[in-house]
This record gives sequence, structure tokens and C-alpha cells, in this order.
Amino acid sequence: MSVINLRHLQPGTKIGLADGSTVEVVSNPLDGIWVFARYLSSPRDTSLIGTEEMIFAQDIVEIR
Amino acid sequence: MARTARHDAIHALVDVKQGLISRELFVNEELYQQEQERLFAHCWLFVGHESQIPKPGDYFVSAMGEESVILTRDREQRIHVFLNTCRHRGMKVCRYDEGNTPVFTCPYHGWSYGTDGRLVGVPYYRECYQEQLDKAEWGLVEVPQLVNYKGTIWATWDEAAPPFAEYLGGMKVHLDTLLDCRDGREGGSEVLGGVQKWVMPCNWKFAAENFAGDAYHNISHRSVDLAGIGPSGAGRRDTVERSTAQRLGASFPDLGHGAVSFLQLDDVPYTPSYQNTPIVEEYFRHCYEERKRRLGKDARLLGLVGNVFPNTAYLARQPRSIAVWHPRGALKTEAWRWFLVDADAPPEVKDVLRHYYLRYSGPAGMTEQDDMENWNYATLASKGVIARRYPYNYQMGLGQDYGTYDSPGVLTDRIAEQNQRGFYERWAAYMDGARTDPRNGGRNDGRATRKGARPGAHRPESRGKPPDADGRSRSGG
Ligand code: FES
Ligand SMILES: [Fe+2]
Repeated sequence: MSVINLRHLQPGTKIGLADGSTVEVVSNPLDGIWVFARYLSSPRDTSLIGTEEMIFAQDIVEIR
Repeated sequence: MARTARHDAIHALVDVKQGLISRELFVNEELYQQEQERLFAHCWLFVGHESQIPKPGDYFVSAMGEESVILTRDREQRIHVFLNTCRHRGMKVCRYDEGNTPVFTCPYHGWSYGTDGRLVGVPYYRECYQEQLDKAEWGLVEVPQLVNYKGTIWATWDEAAPPFAEYLGGMKVHLDTLLDCRDGREGGSEVLGGVQKWVMPCNWKFAAENFAGDAYHNISHRSVDLAGIGPSGAGRRDTVERSTAQRLGASFPDLGHGAVSFLQLDDVPYTPSYQNTPIVEEYFRHCYEERKRRLGKDARLLGLVGNVFPNTAYLARQPRSIAVWHPRGALKTEAWRWFLVDADAPPEVKDVLRHYYLRYSGPAGMTEQDDMENWNYATLASKGVIARRYPYNYQMGLGQDYGTYDSPGVLTDRIAEQNQRGFYERWAAYMDGARTDPRNGGRNDGRATRKGARPGAHRPESRGKPPDADGRSRSGG
């Protein structure tokens, strides 16, 4: 698995997280550590769907 | 140290009555460390200008004493000043000079703070903190008091510090000659260009006391006067209007501020300046007349120079500028200089001013270079164990009375060292631990405030009066 450069993630990009969730980038502060994203799906907690959260770089496993 | 012992130790170094100040103030590392706690942690300090952070998310990294701070505007347009250090392990959260950001993310472990200071991102918050960390408790440290005074942002770490207006006292009228529009409207300035920053191998107080109104050292700038860097190509300023005005040295010993302004004793017509550039000439003529129309008699006060205690200096007109002398060690100062202009001045005017300001001030400015030479060599020549035995002399005008003018402060109408004595009197009060309310004259030892003194309005009441019982002339020394 190659390391994802967070600075390249544009709003609208769909990414997969370590817990199996899929989120969509809403905005990118370009600090290389966090992105703001909205949950599209979450096997862990379906109530997260539609909510926004800051996503930590090391939780991101793939670009979907 | 017991308070009296501390009092005695400080007053052995600062003898305002005799006009003697020990060189230790300028070279001693221990005193320098004490200043950080007793002075810089309690005074109101200039942090930046609102025009540097016009939009939500804008930030400017500044300093208060030795500490890095972030001046920022949050999403609700509120201005904040935060200590620039991560609450987790102390990493400097923001390492840029200025910019725009939705969050301040610490590069060490990734804690992330909103522009309102709240801790909003903690890596592995769920998995490893089990959501037990109380984020509300661990936001950025914010100053307890902050004020936006005519566009300039000031802050203090002391929640018990008097309100800024009281801290400023009678110095307000002088500072306003810097901050108000050239045509007399209130405020309205903006920062022109970037902030100049440089390091000087001298103690910060050399610069502070100089800008508190050292009108004696003009001789240092004679080569600049000869070179003729002024707006009209002669001298270093266009100052004809001063020839008919009264010099007004204003000292506020209970507050520590000092200023030199000029007071026109009558309505004086505009004297041409900026004569090499007709657009600028016309602009300043218009401003001068407008200001007179708006302010009436109050327009007669023309600002020159001053220092807001402890380390914020200004030049009110030519050039129009704020400087902060950041302490960086007993023998090291980091100077930061902001240039101001009326936000709505025409572009041609701003451009001409920018060139003139740079000729004058900053590390490449000719006048500033002269000043630095003096402070840097004075430092070198004062460090030695023998040199330290001999105090500096601040006796000019000691015990003299200069008459009454309708302006606050202890006033002098000629070159004197009253402003420097006032600065060190207040310095000693802070170092002595009496830093709180200027209404008590800055003292905590139970002694009464000087007879007749009220904050920011100490006026000589009669000529030729002998010094007070405590040995100080009420007007001159
Ligand atoms: S020091 Fe800032 S996150 Fe650890
Ligand atoms: Fe000077």
C-alpha cells in the first residue's frame, strides 16, 4: 500500500478508512495531517453517515 | 526575596532622583529573566494590526515578550491571541509568519486547533484515548485580555491588569497622532507592506528609552540630514511647521510611557512638504486642512515619537511606524517594524511613503542604522566588570520646571531626560512587584502617590518649585 499524500486530496474525493468506512473530502486544510470529510458509509456506526468529521492521515487507507 | 529587600535591590540600580541608572539593567542576565516574569507577563503589549488579518482564518504570528503568539480571526470574525505552543508536548503549533488556515495543526503528533483555539482534532481519539480526553480543557492558551485600539491589537497575560485605556492614560493623545487618519478621522490606518524583522546585539531597553523621546541624540543622525533622505530631499524629515511650534516632551512616570510631540501655539497655515511629488503634496495639504477643520484646537498637536511602556515604540508622521523591541536575552533584541498609512490614501501616496519609510527605518534604513550602531556599541562597552561599576547619566533637566501647557503628563519644553527617568521609574515599580494599578502610582509598599498626581494628568502647577519631599521635582525631574 503506497502512502497517500493528503495535500493532493481535492474536495469530492472518496476515500476509504481503516475501519471500512467510506468518506468524501469536504475541504482540505493542506496541513498534510487532516482532511474534513463526510461519511458515506460506516460499518462501525451507521449513525455517522452524513456527518462531517476530521479524518486523520493514518486512518486513510485508500482513495476510492 | 522579601519585598523590601527586592525594593532596595531594584532601587539601588535605578536612582531616578539622582538621574543614575546602573549598567546592570542593560547587561545582566538575571535581571533580564526577572523582567520576563515581573514585566512582560503583566504589561499590555502590541501584537499586530487588524489589517494584517482581514478575513476569517487569517493569522499573523507575533510575540509577547519571549513568547510566540498567534494573532488570528476566527470564523465568527472574532480576533484572538493565542500562545503558540501545543498543549500536548509544547511543539510550536504555527511555524509560518502569516497566512490563512481553517485549523492550526501541530506537526508533532497531530493535535489540531480551530481558529477559535478549540482543540478539534486528536489522532486516535476513539481508539487510544477512548474518548476520555476532555478536549474543551486542552485548547490553545488564550490571553485573558485583548483590545483593538483604532486597529492596533494589544494584549496582556495579566487578567488583573488595568483596562488598556487606563494603562495608556494621558499617552492616548500622543499615540492618536500615529493612529488617526491624517485628515483627523479616528483610526483608519493599515499596515503598508510587510513587517521588517531583524536582530540587534543590545538590550531592548536601549531602543525603548531612545524612542521614549531621546531628543538629545540628534547629532547621531547628522550624516542622514546631510544626505537628505527627507520627503522633499533635504534633511531627514519635512519639519518646517515645527519651527513655529513648542516642543512637548511628555513623561508619564506612573505609567512608564514617554513621548515627544510638538504643540502649535496658534493656528498655523500648512507648510509645503513632499514637494518633489505634487500628488502627495496636494494630498497632505488637503489632510492638514481637513484635520484642522475637524479637530479645531486639538489639531495643533503634531506627533513625533514615543514609547508605550514597555517596548512598543512609534514614529507618528515621518516615517509613520510602530516598532516592537522583543526581548531575546540580556544582550539581544529582535526588532519588528510595521509601517502605517491611511487605508484610503491614493496608491501614489502609498508608494512614495513606502520608499521614504524604507530610506529612513528598518535594518536598511539610514536613520535606524545610526541608532543601532549606538546601542550595539554601548552594549559592548558596558559589559565588562569594570564598566559595569559606572552608572549611566540621566541628569539632563533634573529638577527643572518647564511651565504649564495644556496637555497631560510631566511636560518639558526643551531637550531633557525626563522621559527616560519616567521610563525607569515605572520599570523599577514593575521589577519591585508593584505592577498593578496605575491609580496607586505603581507602588505596593504603602507609600502615598505623589502629591497631586493622577494617572496621565500630571501638570506642573507653578514654576521654580523645589523638588517634592521625596526629592523629585514635580514637573522636570
Ligand atoms: S506536541 Fe503537539 S500533538 Fe504532540
Ligand atoms: Fe534615532
